[in-house]
Amino acid sequence: MTQERPSEEKPYRRLETQTLLQQIALRHGLEAMEASENGNLAWVTSGFPVEIPIAMNLGVVYPEQAGAIIGAQKIGPEICGYAEDLGYSQDLCSYARSSIGSTEKPDKVPVGSLPTPQILLACNNICGTVLRWYDAISEMTGAPVFLLDTPPIDKQQLPHNREYVHRGVERLIEFIGSQFNRTLEEDRIRKVAELSSRATKLWISALEACKNKPSPLNCADRFLTMAPVVSSRGTEHCVEFYEAFVAEVEERVKNRIGAIRDEKVRLLWDNIPPWHTLRFFNILASRGVGFPADTYTHAWTGNMVGTDTHSIIDEVVETYSKVYLNMGLDAKVDKMCQLIKDYDLDGFVMFSVRSCKRYSLGQLVSKELVTERTGVPGVIIEGDMVDSRVYNEAQIETRVDALLEMLM
Amino acid sequence: MGVGIDVGSTTTKGVLLDSSGNIIAKSLMLTGASAVQAVEKTLHNISSSSNIDLNGVPMISTGYGRARVELAEKSVTEITCHSVGVHYINPDIRLLIDVGGQDSKVIRVGSSGRPEDFELNDKCSAGTGRFLEVMARVLDVSIDELGPLALQSKTPCSISSTCTVFAESEVIGHIGAGKSAADIAAGVHISMVSKISALSKRVGVKEPVCVTGGVALNPAFKHHLSNQLGVELWVPDEPQLTGALGAAVIALEKKGEM
Repeated sequence: MTQERPSEEKPYRRLETQTLLQQIALRHGLEAMEASENGNLAWVTSGFPVEIPIAMNLGVVYPEQAGAIIGAQKIGPEICGYAEDLGYSQDLCSYARSSIGSTEKPDKVPVGSLPTPQILLACNNICGTVLRWYDAISEMTGAPVFLLDTPPIDKQQLPHNREYVHRGVERLIEFIGSQFNRTLEEDRIRKVAELSSRATKLWISALEACKNKPSPLNCADRFLTMAPVVSSRGTEHCVEFYEAFVAEVEERVKNRIGAIRDEKVRLLWDNIPPWHTLRFFNILASRGVGFPADTYTHAWTGNMVGTDTHSIIDEVVETYSKVYLNMGLDAKVDKMCQLIKDYDLDGFVMFSVRSCKRYSLGQLVSKELVTERTGVPGVIIEGDMVDSRVYNEAQIETRVDALLEMLM
Repeated sequence: MGVGIDVGSTTTKGVLLDSSGNIIAKSLMLTGASAVQAVEKTLHNISSSSNIDLNGVPMISTGYGRARVELAEKSVTEITCHSVGVHYINPDIRLLIDVGGQDSKVIRVGSSGRPEDFELNDKCSAGTGRFLEVMARVLDVSIDELGPLALQSKTPCSISSTCTVFAESEVIGHIGAGKSAADIAAGVHISMVSKISALSKRVGVKEPVCVTGGVALNPAFKHHLSNQLGVELWVPDEPQLTGALGAAVIALEKKGEM
């Protein structure tokens, strides 16, 4: 791939709202520190029904997001290495390794080391590793772990599974209540759920704006701007950020301003990005290759308010049982085919992430199925989201170049 | 005219085509430690054997060292070049299996000669020419002798296909257990072929099937692959040159001479 150009001629356009994003990230970090100092901080997994701890006045942080920041700082191998020094395998998820490594040696992490938790909230709707990972953090910090168990769904959620998850959410409320001596107020959870829903709807509208040609956002833009909807949904400032963000996206659409300067090829990205090499997208941008859609940022489109349920707990059960990674392979293939159709994409790149078995399992089969159903070609590249030691740029370049030669 | 240069991990190949598309010069040499020097030497070989000054002749580079060819107008992946090269020699071919020193690739060739789908080996050398090189060294035979030796076997040894390093330990174990070199060599080929066969089935075995790359010259590899896939395999006369040939064809196309 060609070299990046000097900044004045960069093939991609920086979002104005990135400045606001940095302010939100800083604010979020400071609030988490304060919550930890006050004995109120929860670490939560990315698919956790965060509205409940927020409504019960806990501060929340996401170790996966910290892992992404560690990856982006290109210190993944070093920080994962501290977990490996403790005996954890290199095959373990690099979000887990970077989390354990940075908990072991927080002073080695310039940005991304999380404040000490008082409670660890894991939901296995994204993977089964989270429980063991949080167990390890629990051993290191003394914070208790709560697991919300959400059995995987194949097509439809079975009634007894729904009831089981429902009971799990009730237990969660009881658990937080007993740990922090507080109750969940109905008014408060309704307010938080409503804010969460507003943020999610704004996020969805930004994603859907990418159906336009040229797309107002590229992959890297969405990977960065997804941070608040992952970590702060259910708060006022999250809604404020997305209002500003959507306004900028709509302005771009109105003026036909693309995220990249000369969009020629539109691709789908599947899986978590290589946080250590986000320039992958910018280098391709210089060749006119953009990614108007991806499965990762579309995973945060579950919308709590408005589901056809009787209570807020039912809504939590409905929304968080049906996250992308908790559904079967058919649902994943359907989603990819739908995105290719709706966003008028020419091909797709599947990133097989060694760390994330739950996301990557089945890609060989789904690649075939997606091509069969949509008629567009795809390629599988291998690597890792945080640990750049298993990311071979030359091999990836050959595979992606070959795909582009088929398209251009 | 058009020049194609294929800088592979083991060998560097070059082909010069005249404006009618006939091969008028070719070169094949070990890449060695410096890809830049291998490219210089290859260009020199082509130029001196054809007596043609290559200045101004359109040139396309391919292979892992493709970026090292400064004179090339453009670099194109080996996937496209092999597909175009094989199509140029035999337009009927629909599946191409190329086994090189460092990687193996399976390409579904479209009727236009362009790739329609492809798969490459993963980050392991177990399905590549390097696997055979390592095993030949352990068995103390040359790489050219390994295939004919394997064909003498009646009871091939079982050798796993997950990892070159582990397989090497297995081979040493078989030597220690007194197994014949022929049986071990046959086991080595079957193990390697099982990787390539799985890769081929992922793309879909559509006949006629062609095998290229240095390993295509190995009779035991061809025999066992044909058995495992259940199809006849076609091998061009110079299977190592297909990538460079494809690059040269693309160079000619670019110039509008074809």
